[in-house]
Amino acid sequence: MVVGDVSTGTELAIIGAGPGGYVAAIRAGQLGIDVTLIEKDAWGGTCLNYGCIPSKALITATDVGHEADTATEMGIHADVKVDVEQMTSWKDGVVDQLTSGVEKLCKANGVNLVEGTAEFAGNGKLRVAHGGQGQGSETIEYENAIIATGSRAIQIPGFEYDSEYVLSSRDVLDLDSIPESLVVVGGGYIGMELSTVLAKMGCDVTVVEMLDDILPGYEDDVKRVVRKRAEDLGIDFRFGESASEWEERGDDIVVTTENADGESFEYATDKVFVAVGRQPVLDTLNLDAIDLEPNDDGRLETDHTGETDVDGVYAIGDVAPGPMLAHKASKEGQVVAEVVAGKPSALDYQAVPAAVFTDPEIGTVGLTEAEAEEEGFTPVVGKFPMSASGRALTTGHSDGFVRIVADEDSGFVLGAQIVGPEASELIAELGLAIEMGATLEDIAATIHTHPTLSEAVMEAAENALGHAIHTLNR
Amino acid sequence: MSENLTLVQAVRDGLHDAMAADDDVIALGEDIGKNGGVFRATQGLHEEFGDDRVIDTPLAESGIIGTAVGMAAYGLKPVPEIQFSGFMYPGFDQIVSHMSRMRTRSRGRFTLPMVLRAPYGGGIRAPEHHSESKEAFYTHEAGLKVVVPSTPYDTKGLLISAIRDPDPVVFLEPKKIYRSFREEVPDEDYEVPLGEASIRREGNDVSVFTWGAMTRPTLEAAENLEGEIDVEVVDLRTLDPMDEETIVESFEKTGRAAVVHEAPQTGGLAGEIAATLQEHSLLYQEAPVERITGFDTPFPLYALEDFYLPEAERISDGLREVMAF
Amino acid sequence: MPTEFKLPDVGEGVAEGEIVAWLVEEGDTVTEDQPVAEVETDKAVVEVPSPYNGTVRELHYDEGDVVPVGSVIVTFDVEGEEVEEVDVEPEETEDEAEAEPEAPDSGGRTFAPPSVRRLARELDVDLATVSGSGPSGRITEGDVRAAAEGEAEEAEADAEEAPKQAVSKVEEESVSAEPQEAAGREKTLAAPATRRVAEELGVDLNDVPAAEERDGEAFVDESAVRAYAESQQAAQAADTAAVQAGESGESGAREERVPYRGVRRTIGKQMEKSKYTAPHVTHHDTAVVDALADVREKLKPVAEDQGFRLTYMPFIVKAVVAGLKQHPYLNSQLDEENEEVVLKNYYNIGIAVATDAGLMVPVIENADEKSIPEIADEMRDLIERARERSISREEMQGGTFTLTNFGAIGGEYATPIINYPETAILGLGALEERPVAEDGDVVAKETLPLSLSIDHRVIDGAVAAEFANTVQEYLENPSMLLLE
Repeated sequence: MVVGDVSTGTELAIIGAGPGGYVAAIRAGQLGIDVTLIEKDAWGGTCLNYGCIPSKALITATDVGHEADTATEMGIHADVKVDVEQMTSWKDGVVDQLTSGVEKLCKANGVNLVEGTAEFAGNGKLRVAHGGQGQGSETIEYENAIIATGSRAIQIPGFEYDSEYVLSSRDVLDLDSIPESLVVVGGGYIGMELSTVLAKMGCDVTVVEMLDDILPGYEDDVKRVVRKRAEDLGIDFRFGESASEWEERGDDIVVTTENADGESFEYATDKVFVAVGRQPVLDTLNLDAIDLEPNDDGRLETDHTGETDVDGVYAIGDVAPGPMLAHKASKEGQVVAEVVAGKPSALDYQAVPAAVFTDPEIGTVGLTEAEAEEEGFTPVVGKFPMSASGRALTTGHSDGFVRIVADEDSGFVLGAQIVGPEASELIAELGLAIEMGATLEDIAATIHTHPTLSEAVMEAAENALGHAIHTLNR
Repeated sequence: MSENLTLVQAVRDGLHDAMAADDDVIALGEDIGKNGGVFRATQGLHEEFGDDRVIDTPLAESGIIGTAVGMAAYGLKPVPEIQFSGFMYPGFDQIVSHMSRMRTRSRGRFTLPMVLRAPYGGGIRAPEHHSESKEAFYTHEAGLKVVVPSTPYDTKGLLISAIRDPDPVVFLEPKKIYRSFREEVPDEDYEVPLGEASIRREGNDVSVFTWGAMTRPTLEAAENLEGEIDVEVVDLRTLDPMDEETIVESFEKTGRAAVVHEAPQTGGLAGEIAATLQEHSLLYQEAPVERITGFDTPFPLYALEDFYLPEAERISDGLREVMAF
Repeated sequence: MPTEFKLPDVGEGVAEGEIVAWLVEEGDTVTEDQPVAEVETDKAVVEVPSPYNGTVRELHYDEGDVVPVGSVIVTFDVEGEEVEEVDVEPEETEDEAEAEPEAPDSGGRTFAPPSVRRLARELDVDLATVSGSGPSGRITEGDVRAAAEGEAEEAEADAEEAPKQAVSKVEEESVSAEPQEAAGREKTLAAPATRRVAEELGVDLNDVPAAEERDGEAFVDESAVRAYAESQQAAQAADTAAVQAGESGESGAREERVPYRGVRRTIGKQMEKSKYTAPHVTHHDTAVVDALADVREKLKPVAEDQGFRLTYMPFIVKAVVAGLKQHPYLNSQLDEENEEVVLKNYYNIGIAVATDAGLMVPVIENADEKSIPEIADEMRDLIERARERSISREEMQGGTFTLTNFGAIGGEYATPIINYPETAILGLGALEERPVAEDGDVVAKETLPLSLSIDHRVIDGAVAAEFANTVQEYLENPSMLLLE
């Protein structure tokens, strides 16, 4: 643009092309809305480029190597060599495929793609800076806007990511060589997933966690299975310690931690990986321009249609309240697109499933037994150990269980927790049961294929009803 | 087959289809060739049609227009672009002394099938000279047609009609809404006739006549007034020759009228329309014609731009005035 | 706190009273019902008691003052209680106890599949209020649809009432038709459009009463011009009527004013509308109905046995229907907006009935499909209910042709007004013996005078005459009715 500023008008402007933003854009395009999707980094956002996808790719790759290496009992003798650069480039290929897939899908649905960093410039206006290519910046005038800017890793003071020794999850997913040893600060799902990956590649991992156990939010018996396995893989755990500082010492570094009693400990290691949580990205948006403020948790309050306090401005994904999960963002994106198109859509899901891709996997949805009691139900619980599952035994991995929580009077399924192989997939059935208002009887009465892990779900339901076959009933 | 295009994309599409259909159609102007036009109105045309038909000119408006006059007199169909309508003034002599007069000067032997295109109007935060809205200079000059589209669909159709018209057309493109919204525009070559207004919204209480970038705020005002005043909105599309029939018919139905234009009030086309209505339909008139226009000042710099341009609230107030008489 | 006491209505339509004497002084303590003043009205002196316990803060009038009823005469300082607000506090506590419906035990969970939840949103049903019929109380699609229908029925009931109210409101709007004096100015300002209207209506702008001034001159708008034109017309009509009526000569007051409202006014409006819309032409003829009289005589006892009273009217209805079938333009309606004459293929015959409240026209639907006994019976029923005012509006709508039997009271010919929006009406004079010329002799025959008014926009005189001839044929040869 030579002089002046010809603004571009659009019905729906979406800031952020992660699993929330791009899904909203495609759905909006399907519904005939004139939609503009703005992304400052890479199509697909964190999930596709630096999170969900690359981490699962590496988890699979390392599993393959580890399985092959430890299957002598099955009669498999392998001499596994890991080429980390090749693994990383294979992972990159998967990511590229998906990223360009997102671009193509958007274009095919009539979505206008804009590369740049957006901020609000007043009601109904965004200012998008193009970061050097072509025009400097442009104004986009919107009728509706969705904030889908996602989250970033929390930095702890003293452990800023700008050093080559301090790794964020993005760095860990992009290694060109495996460090000999690694201190992992944070025993949440990101720390645990990547610890497992590195341990399986021979790294000597020590997990330092401030709380007294890993994976906050999950029940003790669930965590125990994962922690034991992690210990078997050679991961050391230090609970009740928080990282206070680090310094270089020769070729390596030393990380110092402190516990509640004031004692400090030192760990010599190659690098330190910090994964202590994520915070929503809202500070780059100039929300003041539209009089919007985050709440005390740093999120934007929304109603059942995803709308914020400002008419026509919606928030989805990690910037909105609720668990920071990609599938929750996607569902919100779909609903908001439908709402903008005038459909009577709403965020009325009964439960959001969650998965942790550790070894073994964890999959949960809905209420735990304790939560069900708190909500006024009289819970009945059914459990089925994986050690009693024929299929589990044939995979060589039989740690874990399936637990279903239901309401005693009505039989409605209220929640489920699964630890074990394929827990992330198995949990879907229970999610459907909760949304449908299905009862234990419905699951128990449905024939599940034999021999599969899903039978464990059926038997857990039968167990709650008192007639499971392959395990003792209460 | 059709696509959702913005107004400036429709300019490009129209120009492209006209050039593809007729080798005599030539585009010329500053930065229109390799650069694709400062607003991308001619993007890709140079690659497709080459140096001979898409010409990058020096910075010389008089030369651009004069050359086009010469080309047209010799049978070509030039489409010269002046980068901003405010820069037409250096070429004003070419327009009023030659472009408008060739037919009469040659007693009909020569006509000038040329279209002088320029982005016009305010609302883009530009410095001096870049926000002019002086369509009245050109309607006042006999021998010129003046066209101002307000939607992407109309833009393509009117541009193609203008290019095919044997007489010179001044085609003013409201740049404020170049990219404001998209509309379905058919892929094929089609024409929207010149000299025909379009009734954008029907109503019975008052007729509002407008064009260009002012059509959208006028429609917005009409929506806001729903339930209070039943507003009819007529988009003139061609300012010269004006569609008197449609204007008069609308006025005789409602009995009250307003004109919305961003050009300054004095000497602006609102006066012309008021006189026309009075001439044809005095006995139908129930109130004076309300002029909702830009002010009689030079176009302000951008801090005050929003006060100058009529917007929905000012238009609504004006319509209430008309109804209250 | 200070509390005002107004002079109460002491009865017998008294509007004011004179304060003969104050029985208390400012500062005195009073008890409830203690007399505070003596007040004289037209007829008597009464004591006015205090409604409160308290002290007299101020006496607002002097002895000898005449005070209108309702004026504040005393201000009291009342002990503690806020006596003002005694009356209408609702029983809040009781209501609150009942207000909260039983919150479901489920703690906010909904047991309904996603598709059912979406359906609820589409149909605007609140799932929290739906009880599920599925297993364990799961909410099904059927439950949601049933809930939606229940709500719709309620809404319909509400909506039905609304138009009725609207109708009555419209009827209440009064159109003042008081004649206006011509203003006789020299100069009047008006918008060009107003001038055109004035010209069309033949009104001189300088005569139109001006309620407004602009620029120091009288200004009139279109509505003022129209109102003046209407009042001129009404005044002329009133004058004519007065001249025709002459002096009423009733004892007592020279004039009597009777409210022009309700049914009377509605009839008036309808008549006005019909007469001023359709150019009326009335065609008169006489049917010689000896044969019909014979038939009726013979059938009368048969009818009595069957339990109904047989008049001439059912025969006439049938004859008219026969005529309408052959001359459809008299069974029509003019749709001016679409510029079409609507010829109707059904025959709803209205029967004009004189009631205490005025003229009413109940309609016999599909008279062509009914037998003479059926028509006779229906007619009797409709007329009875019309006279009792228990007939419904619907029963007086949808007519395609009207019969008015003024002959039942008396008279020969008339110029009936068409029942808008029909295009014709047949008036019947008294059916009795009259002299008829036959073969050079004058004989007494039973005759029925016919007065057929038609809308000349749609029907020409010739067509009217043909229709009248056809109807006459059937009336004079009643056996032809057997073929209909």
